[in-house]
Amino acid sequence: MITKTKYIPDGKKELKESPILHYLDADYLYYPVTSQRCPDGVTCVRGGQFVKVGEVVGTRKGAFFEQPMHATVSGEVVGYEKHIDNSGKLVDCLIVKNDKKYELHPSIVERSDEDIEKLTKEDYITIIKDAGLVGLGGSAFPTYIKLQTEDPIDVVIANGVECEPNLIADYSLMMNNPREVIKGLIYAMKASGAKRGVIAIKKKYKEIEERLKFVLQEFTDYNIEVVTVGNFYPQGWELAMIKNALGIKIPQGQLLSKYGVLNFNVSTLQSIYNAVKKGLPVLERLFTISGDGIHNKNFRARIGTLVQDLIELAGGYKDEELPKVMVLGGPMMGTNILQDDVVMTHTTTSLIVMNEKKEKEEACVHCASCVYSCPVSIQPVQIMNAYKTRDKDALKMLEVNKCIECGLCSYVCPSKIHLTDYMRNGKRFASK
Amino acid sequence: MQTIKQTSPYVRKDVSTKRMMIDVLIALIPVIAFSIYRFGGDAILRIVVSLVVMVGLEALIFGLTHKPSKAEKWIDRVKSRYQEYSINNITAPAISAVIFAMLVPSKLPIYAVVIGATFGIVVAKMLFGGLGSNIFNVAAAGRIFIALAITSMFDGTYVGVDLVAGSTALTTLRSGLGFPGVLNSYTLGELFFGFVPGAMGEISSAAILIGAAYLIIRKSADYRVILSTAITFSVLMLFAGLNLYPDMAFEYVLFHLFSGGVMFGMVFMVTDPVTSPVTRPGRWLYGLLVGVVIVLIRLFGAYPEGVAFAILFANMFVPLIDYPKWSTNKIKPAFIVGYIVLLAIFSLVVYFGVGGNLA
Repeated sequence: MITKTKYIPDGKKELKESPILHYLDADYLYYPVTSQRCPDGVTCVRGGQFVKVGEVVGTRKGAFFEQPMHATVSGEVVGYEKHIDNSGKLVDCLIVKNDKKYELHPSIVERSDEDIEKLTKEDYITIIKDAGLVGLGGSAFPTYIKLQTEDPIDVVIANGVECEPNLIADYSLMMNNPREVIKGLIYAMKASGAKRGVIAIKKKYKEIEERLKFVLQEFTDYNIEVVTVGNFYPQGWELAMIKNALGIKIPQGQLLSKYGVLNFNVSTLQSIYNAVKKGLPVLERLFTISGDGIHNKNFRARIGTLVQDLIELAGGYKDEELPKVMVLGGPMMGTNILQDDVVMTHTTTSLIVMNEKKEKEEACVHCASCVYSCPVSIQPVQIMNAYKTRDKDALKMLEVNKCIECGLCSYVCPSKIHLTDYMRNGKRFASK
Repeated sequence: MQTIKQTSPYVRKDVSTKRMMIDVLIALIPVIAFSIYRFGGDAILRIVVSLVVMVGLEALIFGLTHKPSKAEKWIDRVKSRYQEYSINNITAPAISAVIFAMLVPSKLPIYAVVIGATFGIVVAKMLFGGLGSNIFNVAAAGRIFIALAITSMFDGTYVGVDLVAGSTALTTLRSGLGFPGVLNSYTLGELFFGFVPGAMGEISSAAILIGAAYLIIRKSADYRVILSTAITFSVLMLFAGLNLYPDMAFEYVLFHLFSGGVMFGMVFMVTDPVTSPVTRPGRWLYGLLVGVVIVLIRLFGAYPEGVAFAILFANMFVPLIDYPKWSTNKIKPAFIVGYIVLLAIFSLVVYFGVGGNLA
């Protein structure tokens, strides 16, 4: 229909109500040596060596940073195997056999509140760097680099919007552990020197708003407020969220810190709390299995667990004779995978298995629903036409590089044209 | 278990082009019903002829322009040409056909209907590449073709002409009674409800408004083009009225709105998405263009009426409006100012033009 679309059915209700199954006792755990942001990696343990929880077992190397990888159980290193990681690619994984004793590595010590008071900005950065913290909202961007900024920071914003359908990781975190999120936010404010903290959540999450506000009464020394933003998609995109929560309009391609803003996902803040207070790296996370092709279930599982185990625990696939589409992440921006041989990493939030629905592509009738719905105000239909004629100048004039690949153009198209794919191809072609 | 390779997003909204087109057909029902009520069998015959010609020719040319497979039997080869033939290849020409039929008078010879429908579907649509690729509005092109090529056939085809006025409302305005006088033959009430001579679908503003309300509620048409055309048309006509008939300027505007094809055109033809620009400002500008050209033709042109002309004229400007260098979906302050300035300029042109002061 010829109109701007900003609501998409989120399918979270049933997931929120279903209980969380704790599965922390996998027999073998797998740690990818490389990741999407780190094409290289080395391990520093040998086969047969005994490792403890939180011990550094290797280092992933990115373009401008290095990231330690930690064991999340204690046990014996038994070798390597190839498995699929969050990006849908086959990667080498280090295997640790779980001895189920969960002995902590001696480097992991809890800090007292007095010690935390004394920490300087550099100390925070070192702690966070050593814990290997990354953006848990999905970007996997190293957290310490954000904090390293020289710009004066006025406000730290906690992104709890989670606008993708079918994901409830941030929701259940804020519901069950609001204190850890708030403390993490306070540490991030201390580390960056910000005076103000803001937690942004969706308007319809009244229960979260009440819960956070109730807990915030314990932290009256700090200027932290809860701000609600609309229930739209893609409201979790940081620029849209900051614009609606703080009223600061940041142009695309600019660093947030130039505008005095730092943005962290609420899960990242919890991991900051764990790293600063308990000295722990990220050990576990919430993982959701959803979609009409599989038995749905929420899990709490250790980083490194095989998703196959979780699928089995959930009850397996439904209607195995029907062809399926498997997605890691959300249904709008997630990664397509062809096998379920997936290892849970820091940023693996959900697996969606849908029975395939065949969509027949019809001719474009220029209804402009895609143009009206585009959150970055570019014109998908014109970009498609320019890409079809391989018109590089037109693609540049149409600012195809602004596209954030949120998927709304394909979602709204009444002719079922896969515009998002044209955007991706157009971007690649324009920058050739 | 079989897994399928796809790229994000993996979910789609429950909308379809098919539904949008069926919505237009539903919106046309009041208009069709009124034309059948007024003109009976004449209306049904012309609608059916137009439908058969347009849907049939689209199907024929669709087959001719698609490559067949190398099957043994000729029937399989023919079938293979129609593999991509979908419901949209029926509903889209059906909409054009009904709209085209609604644009002609009820006594127009059948072969004139056939010629117009053929020109519209073959030249204006299929030669440009079929659904989604046509530059010109199909029904408007067909209507203009017969209006220019076989003008004399239209003589005496309008039913219900007032004896005193001697012709349709807009023609009477130019060659006959003149403005306030024409209201004695055709009152505003008759014009609104459609008890006047004219093209079959254009006469009843009431029926058209029902369809418009449906289209806008269903969001199957963009209200921006409708609103922009209506505002431009009314403002310009108001200025003309203020100069010509200062006491009856308001009635003058209503008379022009309810007579001729402006109402039908702006609800069912200007809204055709295929031939519209694809941005918000573009669509406002497109409506303005249509409104201005209709007014200029009505007041200064050689023809009494110019909705179809105005739409074809504005269609030519769509690629220019959508040119990547300046097309944007943001409504910027500069655009609003530009729109108002354009409206003001044309209002002044009309205001001084109708008084003969410019000559």
